[in-house]
Amino acid sequence: MEAMKIMLVDDEERFLSTTKKLLTKKGIDVVTATSGAEALEMLQNKYVHVVILDVKMPGMDGNETLKEIKNRFPLVEVIMLTGHATIESAIDGLKCGATDYLMKPTEIDELIVKAKEAFRKRLLVEEKIYMAQSRSYRKSPREILKEAEKTAR
Amino acid sequence: MKQNPYAGLKKVILAGMILVPLVPFVLVLGIGYYYFTDSLENNTIASIQRIVHDHRQMIESFLMERKSNLEFVLNTYTFEDLSQADKLKRTFGSLQKESSAFVDLGIFDENGLHVAYHGPYSLSGKVYDQAPWFKAVMKKGFYISNVFLGYRQVPHFVIAVAKMNQGRQWVIRATIDTQIFNDLVKKVRIGKTGEAYLLDTEGVFQTERRSGGSLMGSDPDRPKYGPVHDGIKAFIDTDAYGEPFLYATTWLKEKSWLLIVRQEKADAFKALYQAAYLIVLISVLGGIIIVAIAFILTDRIIRRMERMDQEKDQLGEQLFRAGRLAEIGEMASGFAHEINNPLQIIKSEYALIEMIFEDLKKKGDIKESDDLAEMGDSIEQIKVQVDRCADITQAILQFGRKGESVAKDIDLQTFIPEVTGMVANKAGVHGIVIEQEITDQIPGVHGDPRYLQQVLVNLLNNAIDAVIVRHGSSGGAIRIESGSAGNRHVEIKIRDNGSGISSENLKKIFTPFFTTKPVGEGTGLGLSVCHGIINKMGGSMLVDSRENIGTTFTIQLPSAK
Repeated sequence: MEAMKIMLVDDEERFLSTTKKLLTKKGIDVVTATSGAEALEMLQNKYVHVVILDVKMPGMDGNETLKEIKNRFPLVEVIMLTGHATIESAIDGLKCGATDYLMKPTEIDELIVKAKEAFRKRLLVEEKIYMAQSRSYRKSPREILKEAEKTAR
Repeated sequence: MKQNPYAGLKKVILAGMILVPLVPFVLVLGIGYYYFTDSLENNTIASIQRIVHDHRQMIESFLMERKSNLEFVLNTYTFEDLSQADKLKRTFGSLQKESSAFVDLGIFDENGLHVAYHGPYSLSGKVYDQAPWFKAVMKKGFYISNVFLGYRQVPHFVIAVAKMNQGRQWVIRATIDTQIFNDLVKKVRIGKTGEAYLLDTEGVFQTERRSGGSLMGSDPDRPKYGPVHDGIKAFIDTDAYGEPFLYATTWLKEKSWLLIVRQEKADAFKALYQAAYLIVLISVLGGIIIVAIAFILTDRIIRRMERMDQEKDQLGEQLFRAGRLAEIGEMASGFAHEINNPLQIIKSEYALIEMIFEDLKKKGDIKESDDLAEMGDSIEQIKVQVDRCADITQAILQFGRKGESVAKDIDLQTFIPEVTGMVANKAGVHGIVIEQEITDQIPGVHGDPRYLQQVLVNLLNNAIDAVIVRHGSSGGAIRIESGSAGNRHVEIKIRDNGSGISSENLKKIFTPFFTTKPVGEGTGLGLSVCHGIINKMGGSMLVDSRENIGTTFTIQLPSAK
């Protein structure tokens, strides 16, 4: 099975570095970003399964970032990381397509559990896409030609 | 407590309430009294003047009639006729038919010789030429005497009429029965003390006076009546005995006699005095009633104002407290939120340390030792304390919680026993009896059951803790009462017989972070959270407690429709 790739997004750098160390030790591939904008930029270049996204961040906040991620990288699973007072934002996040949420201060084990759940979901979706695509490969050559013509036009 | 702040206001209200009705009241009574007494006085005086006028006319006509009687005799008979005793007797008889007041009849010649006489005395032959009455009648032709004793030594007065006849002058004289005249004059009756009498110019009684003053006695009050005058005089004066009288006086026309009608002032103005007494009585009673009512009403108004002010103060205090709590809540939740970030880092750091620590131990890079165990324990404490911090921030955030809650109608009749069931076990362990009394027809309330549950559990746990402090493991009792509180509210009371709360602590009980529990056992947030929840449900929460007797929490919530 493919190793899980996580992106941590939070404005607390120490949190990022420590959590990264921890997760790496557990065999998880981790990249970090200190803002929503950085996260979006990195997502263009890096293949990530799950994003753990702090709700409250200076600049682009968690929910905006979430919408942007879902818009541009719909397959990426996002887990919202929230303080209690922003539980409403977490709920908003879930409505906007976040997979789950974590309440600060969170246990590292809980974080991993939820991340894995999201990862599995992601894999499932990817598998479905793969299946769907392979079905389209099984179409008649004529149809494939037609489609090619359309694209050429 | 400061000096009654209403003292000034009370005075103003009192003064207003007394003066406003009292002034018109007194004015009405005063003006009424003035005009009434004035008219009554005028009436009384007018009436006594009328009486004296009528009485004078009567007395005068009596005297005139007697004079006319004599003139008739004088003109009808000759001197010679009447000098004969039997003729005189007959004439006297017919005179007596005219008036029984005639006592005797005498005839005199121009020299004052009493020529003939008919009457009870034997006066014939006496000579009167030097008597003043004779001189007067000879001069004026007519004379009425004052009352005098004369030869008879009996008070009497005479009427004499003279006539010129064939060059000689003769006189006819009649004595008038003083008794009859007396009765005539005295006859006036006004009130109890009204009386009439005649005085001569010297102040000698010509008739008796009922209140004392015998015939021919002297009236010491004579100077008061002044000289002879026309018309009628009315005045009030005291008599010689110091008694005030209302007098009306008039002089007779034919004779210098003064007719006096008088009445004791108190008697004359009896109606007036009665009216005055009545008015005084009404004023006093009315005044007392006005003042009493003013006092009572003022007292009520002031008391009502005091109560309203107290209520206002209480309300103000409640609002202030609520506002302060809300402020603290807001601040605290912001604060808690910020604390969560470093807590998150500490937690991560701890996890990392633990991991590395385990790795090191596994690899054998560090040897097992007491120090190592102690370090492990110490590291473990970091986790414990961070978790504790997390609990506190959770509680704070709950307190300052905004936003959505899932509200629905809650049936207290099933809800309260359910909640009680949650703590029944804990209570049972400590031998605490929980009684429940929930009225059948209790209306439901509207709110998030989770929050209401949190409140009730919190209060019940507090009650259990307080009971344990005081009773240990037996003798504790907690009672939950619930019913309608009227005014579309429902009331839930949680009463315990625990250790109670000191009055000092009672004030701070809903303040966040206030706790009497030992460090580490309570966050001091429970009750402030409860307070916040109940407020949000539109209710109120009150506490009443006495040390070593127990505590009662009362929650009032608006009932669901």
